[in-house]
Amino acid sequence: MKKKIHYSTYVYWAMGLFLAIFLAQCGLKAISVVVPKSAKANQRVTFTMHCGAEPRIQGGGSYSTQLVAGIMVPKGWNARKNLTMSFTSPKGNGTMRIIPDSELEPVSGLSWHQAAKKMFGIGPNLVDDMEWIVFRSTQAYSFVNNEDIDFTVKAECNVGAENMLASLGFYIGSSIENLRPEDTDYKKFTFSNAFEVTDGEGDLIDFINPQLGTVQPVKSLDNDIITLTFDGGVTNTVLDHEPAIYLHVRAMDESGKLIAEIRKQTADTKLTDVGGKKYLIDIWPRGFFKVDKDVHIARLEYFYTDITGTKSVGYGNTDEPFKYTFRCE
Amino acid sequence: MKIYKILSWPLMLVLCWGINSCKDELGNIRTEEAEKDITGNWKVTQLTRNGENLSKRLKLENFKIDFNADGTYTIADDLPFVVSGSGKYRLDDPQYPFSVVLSPTEGKEEVVLKFQFPVVKGKRQLSLVMSLGCSSNTYQYDCERLNGGI
Repeated sequence: MKKKIHYSTYVYWAMGLFLAIFLAQCGLKAISVVVPKSAKANQRVTFTMHCGAEPRIQGGGSYSTQLVAGIMVPKGWNARKNLTMSFTSPKGNGTMRIIPDSELEPVSGLSWHQAAKKMFGIGPNLVDDMEWIVFRSTQAYSFVNNEDIDFTVKAECNVGAENMLASLGFYIGSSIENLRPEDTDYKKFTFSNAFEVTDGEGDLIDFINPQLGTVQPVKSLDNDIITLTFDGGVTNTVLDHEPAIYLHVRAMDESGKLIAEIRKQTADTKLTDVGGKKYLIDIWPRGFFKVDKDVHIARLEYFYTDITGTKSVGYGNTDEPFKYTFRCE
Repeated sequence: MKIYKILSWPLMLVLCWGINSCKDELGNIRTEEAEKDITGNWKVTQLTRNGENLSKRLKLENFKIDFNADGTYTIADDLPFVVSGSGKYRLDDPQYPFSVVLSPTEGKEEVVLKFQFPVVKGKRQLSLVMSLGCSSNTYQYDCERLNGGI
């Protein structure tokens, strides 16, 4: 009996070692991307992903799969409407199609786009207004053992109308491997350096660099619940040693007329300290300002203050207010 | 050993006969799904925005909604909601509802909210999914009946 136990232990060790070697040698190469530093608003831009396959198939045979590729861009680009993807490889060139929302990624039970966001996140971006969009080749391709190839995926899309600075995400995978959390061989992803959209509308939306004041969600209306954040760690301000931070905020209508102003330092205007010199407050603007049904708040102007209201910090650590415009597109 | 084998056959036959005899009775049991009743005073116990849980940061104590037995609803003034005030409501299917349809008294159009009605810890939970402002922002309100009702 003892001998049998010993024998089976050796077998399991050998199997484990074989699997480890097999898995370690198999799959996709690391991904590298070519992303321009900047583009003009609404310009159509090409992003290039270089990758490769290294099939090490147990016991010979073949491995058949479709190529999966995704990119992560700001939601404001509406890239789903105009993104195209294609690839070139020694096994042939082809176009790719967006995976329908109705098709669920089997491991997460989410759509492939949501699953990619859950798996890869938003990288170095600090503001979560990004979406992953995942495409798949229309054809499947078969690999035999040691048939190593390099291939290139090109993604083309319009960059949207707003000025912004963001890091973009890229993913290459295999359709039959799905997005298993433990897998590191069949899903390769990376994030680009800063990519800037210039000559567009509005102030620069900076996704990468810490901001003194931010609002989440990036796109909202006055009936949404919004979160205003003050990040005192970004730079030295007059509020550096204050024990509590308060919100001083004005609601304006479409014509710029003042609807209401709240500048009292109360429990309702006090920000919550979330650590790391960061403070936040969640408000439902329609309820916060108690506006009538037919009144619509078009934008907010706001400052962060101390408990007396005398020390105040505005946009870029100046006397100018932070501004937030309610809009969906 | 042989005795057991011999006995086991009649026993199996008796068992099969017993099970078979229940068939008709089981078939007569009505399995019709009960109509879902959402009447009551509900308080929001959890609120998420785009998957982020805001429950601990917001004061939820005044976030209430009443679904009355006469088919009307009332939303508390403090509750951010897709409609305000009061109106009439109905379920899209009384037995297998997927949504609650609200007809605001002062509103123009019906509002359809995605709806789930699971039993959580022995109590019915009302989950409503909606967009308050931009359609890109999704909120889920999980509610419990006030006064410990089930």
